[in-house]
Amino acid sequence: MSEFKSGFFVGGESCNGRVLVVDDEPDIRKVVRMTLQKGGYDVLEAENGEKAIEVINSGENRLLLDVIICDIRMPKVNGIEAIAYFRQNYPRVPLIVLTGFPDTDMATSLLRQGVVDYLVKPVEGEKLKASVARAMEQRELAHL
Amino acid sequence: MAIFSPTISHRRTEPQAATPPPMRVAIIGAGRGGTALLDVLHQIGTIEVVGVIDKNPTAPGLRRAQELNVAVYDQVPDLIKDQHPSLVMDVTGDPAMESSLQEQVPPGTGIVNGQTSRLLWLLVQHETTLQTELLHAEKLAGIGSFAAGIAHDINNPLQLILGLAENLTDETDLEAVHAQAEDIIDAVKRTTAICRDLTSYSRRTSLRPDGLISVNGKLDEALKIARYAVALQDIEIRKDYQPDVVAKGNPDQLLHVFVNLITNAVQAMEHQGILTLETATVDGGTQVRVSDTGSGIAPELLNRIFDPFFTTKPPGKGTGLGLYNIKNVIHHMHGSISVESQVGRGSTFTLTFPGETGQAEGEAS
Repeated sequence: MSEFKSGFFVGGESCNGRVLVVDDEPDIRKVVRMTLQKGGYDVLEAENGEKAIEVINSGENRLLLDVIICDIRMPKVNGIEAIAYFRQNYPRVPLIVLTGFPDTDMATSLLRQGVVDYLVKPVEGEKLKASVARAMEQRELAHL
Repeated sequence: MAIFSPTISHRRTEPQAATPPPMRVAIIGAGRGGTALLDVLHQIGTIEVVGVIDKNPTAPGLRRAQELNVAVYDQVPDLIKDQHPSLVMDVTGDPAMESSLQEQVPPGTGIVNGQTSRLLWLLVQHETTLQTELLHAEKLAGIGSFAAGIAHDINNPLQLILGLAENLTDETDLEAVHAQAEDIIDAVKRTTAICRDLTSYSRRTSLRPDGLISVNGKLDEALKIARYAVALQDIEIRKDYQPDVVAKGNPDQLLHVFVNLITNAVQAMEHQGILTLETATVDGGTQVRVSDTGSGIAPELLNRIFDPFFTTKPPGKGTGLGLYNIKNVIHHMHGSISVESQVGRGSTFTLTFPGETGQAEGEAS
């Protein structure tokens, strides 16, 4: 399946890639979806780490998911635990952290674990889209 | 409802074993001075207040003494015969009492009166002020740990506001524009509520007079504040409230007590477990129980947890003043606090306040 490239068709619509947004706040998922859909991305949502793991393991997602945007402070499985799971089981899917709390130590530790970006809310739409685009490039490199 | 069977119960007021017998003190005069003196002396382990005297049966200090299980008298000779105090403190300021005491008190018993008594009263007032200051200092120190919670609660609505505003710059659907503008207004209101909660929590408390407080309302308010300090997402919160229970005291101080107890309970559970908040009327008084299913407190530490500067938290994480301040506030409210704990199972703090009749301030019904 490594010949798969993004820029495929989902439900008949042209798509730059599929992004999973993991955040316990529905409002955050809503605006991130709004921003990314304008950038031509297909957006999936999960309200915590546990749901996110379910989503990535269901159906075609394990193959078609391009980028994960993940909050840290969430119920059930929190961001740190979810990120560890994704790094272990889906090392090729780039991870972006989008959190409300600027914590330098945590940012350093997560970037060392291979997270591609650590964004602190509120983040501008352009910056978020640029971060996702960079992550997509990594994703494509990983496929080469 | 009990969630585990308690095995250890401890009250701070029990005398410690293997220490010299406490000094036996009698207080003459149960007005403001006598009451304050009783409150301060009662907190000191090496002093036992053996009796309080006032000719006026409605003097406030007599009621306080009864709450603390201290004997009350209306005649000096009766007290001396029953209790054999080693020191008699006369805070009546009455010259006639001063001369009659010399005759009534047996040799070898100390007497404090006149200017010495006045000096003590000033020291007691000073001590009371210090306790209030300490409470405030500890509260402000605790607010430092709110940073992560505050950042979360401000930055999330800000993300919504920014995202919606960016979208509005080129949104052409008028209906969507209106709906998103409403969402922005709501998000701003939520953010201002955070600042309102926290500024009211951090203000100084000494100036507010004692009043009747709705205990259930205060517990709910404390939960809102505590969630800035500790992560509550994975804590199951069980409430078992009896409606309309009240306690008399300073509402800000009681809020601080509840925030502290809830924060401690959640920290003991390391982000997973059950927090139970219960209120009830027991023997005419108000009882509040805060229980957790956390790590519990080792039996050898139980009798130290209310001491000042005692903490089991790592350096920089706890001031060691939380439970000490709580104890002082509860004593000031003429109540008591006790703890039951089992290592590995959890802890329950039980607060008891004297019965009050009436309606809490600011309550509609």
